[in-house]
Amino acid sequence: MPRHSWKLGVGLASMLLGMLLVFQFRTETNVKTYLPQFKTVSELAIKWNRMQTDLNKKEEELQRLRQQIQGYNRDAELKGLQMVAGVTPLRGPGVEITLTDVTRPLRSYEDPNLFIVHYDQLELLVNELWAAGAEAVAINGVRLVAQTGFSCAGTTILVGNKKLAPPYVIRAIGDPRTLQAALTIPGGYIDSQILPFELGITIKQKNSLYLPPYKGSSVFNYAEVVPEESEEILAGETEEVEEGEGEKMAPLEAGEPVREGEEP
Amino acid sequence: MFLIPLIGVSIGVGIGLLLPFEIPITYKSYTALAILATVDAIFGGMRAQLEENFIFSKFMVSFFANAALAVALAYFCNVLGIDIYMGAVVAFSIRLFNNLSLIREFLIIRYRRRGSK
Repeated sequence: MPRHSWKLGVGLASMLLGMLLVFQFRTETNVKTYLPQFKTVSELAIKWNRMQTDLNKKEEELQRLRQQIQGYNRDAELKGLQMVAGVTPLRGPGVEITLTDVTRPLRSYEDPNLFIVHYDQLELLVNELWAAGAEAVAINGVRLVAQTGFSCAGTTILVGNKKLAPPYVIRAIGDPRTLQAALTIPGGYIDSQILPFELGITIKQKNSLYLPPYKGSSVFNYAEVVPEESEEILAGETEEVEEGEGEKMAPLEAGEPVREGEEP
Repeated sequence: MFLIPLIGVSIGVGIGLLLPFEIPITYKSYTALAILATVDAIFGGMRAQLEENFIFSKFMVSFFANAALAVALAYFCNVLGIDIYMGAVVAFSIRLFNNLSLIREFLIIRYRRRGSK
């Protein structure tokens, strides 16, 4: 046994050596596969630091975006846009204006055309309301939206695509006192353009008004959503349009005072 | 003479290939030291056998003591920030070459004796 004991010792040590060699070789191969471009620890450390900083930045960004997502309320934004578009019924305080034609019998020399409510009077009255801070307006249950136009259709007034007949009940949601004050200001629109024609007008402040939603179509055939364009392009486009409109506007404006002049 | 270590190493490699172990990258340099210590022990054992003063217990004790000492020294110096790892490698290498040269001498002497007989 003592003669061969060295075989046992050296053999055991050799086995251990073989195992260690394999393990070490594995590690070394992995290191060379995953980190082939690094020769020294300090290079690796620099790289690691940089990546750690990157990671921190990215994590901060992630945190911020998560908070943004949490803060973002889809329903609230949708509700706001629906209110702006006028597709939801609204309720709120405001004023109710009733506008009627002249009720007294006309004398033979009076032109009946001057004693009925015209579409432009209605439109300008609504304009006064918008200017006074009205949030939503409806006439005889027809909600006014951005595309709503006024026009004359025989004895009736076309608001959007609905024909309306007197009496015209204009409901506007807003601060009732401000709205009424803006309408009844001396020398204001009602004072100078409605009352002289002896049109019947009553303004009532209401605590709670119901405005129905806009019921027309909202199809856009020509317009399409684009990202914001630069000022240059916009300026060029609007200039052309303005020129065209300016020429048309001149005769119209000239025509209007004639009708006003006939009034007394 | 060299058959025993060769067989041992091949058996060890076989076992190592079968086992799924891998040295963590942090302990890579310590394993390198352990390998050197083992190689040193093997040649030391061979030399002792040739000198015919091989004692099994002494061999085992010195083998593990050397390896443990080298690894422990390297570890503590690493903690303190002293790079003694290379020093240990050099020391083991010197011993290794020393042993190897002695083994060579013995083998040459033995060969000559056999030739002269």
